[in-house]
Amino acid sequence: MPSKKSLHIESSGQLCIYCGACVGICPLNCIYLDETRITFDEGVCTRCEICVKACPVGAIEIG
Amino acid sequence: MGRDRTTDVLVIGAGPAGSMTAKWAAKKGARVVMLEKRQEIGSPVRCGEGMSKDWLADVGIKPGRWVNLEVEGARIYSPSEKVFEINEKHAGNEVGYVVERDEFDKQLAIDAANAGVEILLKTSATSILKENGRVVGAKVKQFGEPYEIRAPITIGADGFESQVGRWAGIPTNLAMKDMDTCLQYRMTNVDCDVRYCDFFLGKVAPGGYVWIFPKGEGLANVGIGVQVSQVTSPADARTYLDRWIDKHPGYAKGKKIDMVGGGVSIAPPLRQTVADGIMIVGDAARMIDPLTGGGIANGCIAGKICGTVAAEAAQTKDVSKEFLQQYEKGWRARLEEKLYRNWLAKEKLVTLSDDVFDKLIDALADVKLEKLNVHNILRAVHEKYPEVTKEFEAFL
Repeated sequence: MPSKKSLHIESSGQLCIYCGACVGICPLNCIYLDETRITFDEGVCTRCEICVKACPVGAIEIG
Repeated sequence: MGRDRTTDVLVIGAGPAGSMTAKWAAKKGARVVMLEKRQEIGSPVRCGEGMSKDWLADVGIKPGRWVNLEVEGARIYSPSEKVFEINEKHAGNEVGYVVERDEFDKQLAIDAANAGVEILLKTSATSILKENGRVVGAKVKQFGEPYEIRAPITIGADGFESQVGRWAGIPTNLAMKDMDTCLQYRMTNVDCDVRYCDFFLGKVAPGGYVWIFPKGEGLANVGIGVQVSQVTSPADARTYLDRWIDKHPGYAKGKKIDMVGGGVSIAPPLRQTVADGIMIVGDAARMIDPLTGGGIANGCIAGKICGTVAAEAAQTKDVSKEFLQQYEKGWRARLEEKLYRNWLAKEKLVTLSDDVFDKLIDALADVKLEKLNVHNILRAVHEKYPEVTKEFEAFL
């Protein structure tokens, strides 16, 4: 079974500036911003990588 | 639960569009509750802080201590840094103030509070309440405690990362070409001219521009927007902005004291901004000008209309999407044509090469345009570079 790529949002504050750009562009509305915490719904996310491009500081990686 | 409550109008988000909506609904006699998820309205600032000013009186906003400084004009720089200056004489509505955005948002919230709006801080909407397909309020969390606020009319004024519209089934999704990813530093000790806002076009910022908004005493907001569809590697916004700063000694010598990021929609007007029991407004409704990236004026203009209609709907107890067409038609009459026209212009500008940008600005820099409009611009360009105007035949 091919497994989904993994998506990692660095939201501990080392890179992430909690700007919400990824939240606004996500076509499936599956990224959530709660003040200083960003989470996403693993099951809904299709790893389309649009959020990776939308992030101004490179805090989102897909591997 | 014990804290569950009701109101006439529930406004989610206390930015400029939310506060304007709330204020005008309250002025028209509605009971209004406005939620703000943060502990402080207006902070942290996510804005370049440039604002036109000709619309303020119309919506009842008086200049106050939020005005940082008043500029005389804007300068548009081509890739080879030829300059076209737009001043108040031929573009009165495009230049104006540099503002303290946190103070501005607070002033609008104060105006709303003075009109009778109840403001709940540290309160976020976690979902909307629906009955028979109609929105009847929201589930909220205040200081971590969940409860329900019921209202005949709910307003989504929750900004670029809006959830409320999507929860209600109003499509607000953006294509990658219709969003800019933005980053801005506040820098001190830079050589900027406080009389001008400066904009740099071309490959320095693909599908967007670099902006300088002067804040006085060597301070400036130095930022960039890059079209998401033109991003080729992660953190391109930062890479392009740092590269631009490095190449400009007057800015390279500056020191960064603050950094903000965010998304800006550069999209055509939405087809729908209301559903039964709900309206969306401001950045949440993709009302940002797709050419300039400015959203405050449009959000406030639409907010006044939205609030007025919300109060009437609550009072007449008709919150159907048919009744709410008054808002849909009202904001479109004021904003839609320009939004669409500027989106078309954006669609064209993002395709231009640096060479074409240079010729455009060069031709404009040489002539004295009395009135700035597409026709006059193209006529000036045609005289010097007739081949360039072929690109723009569709606009004539």
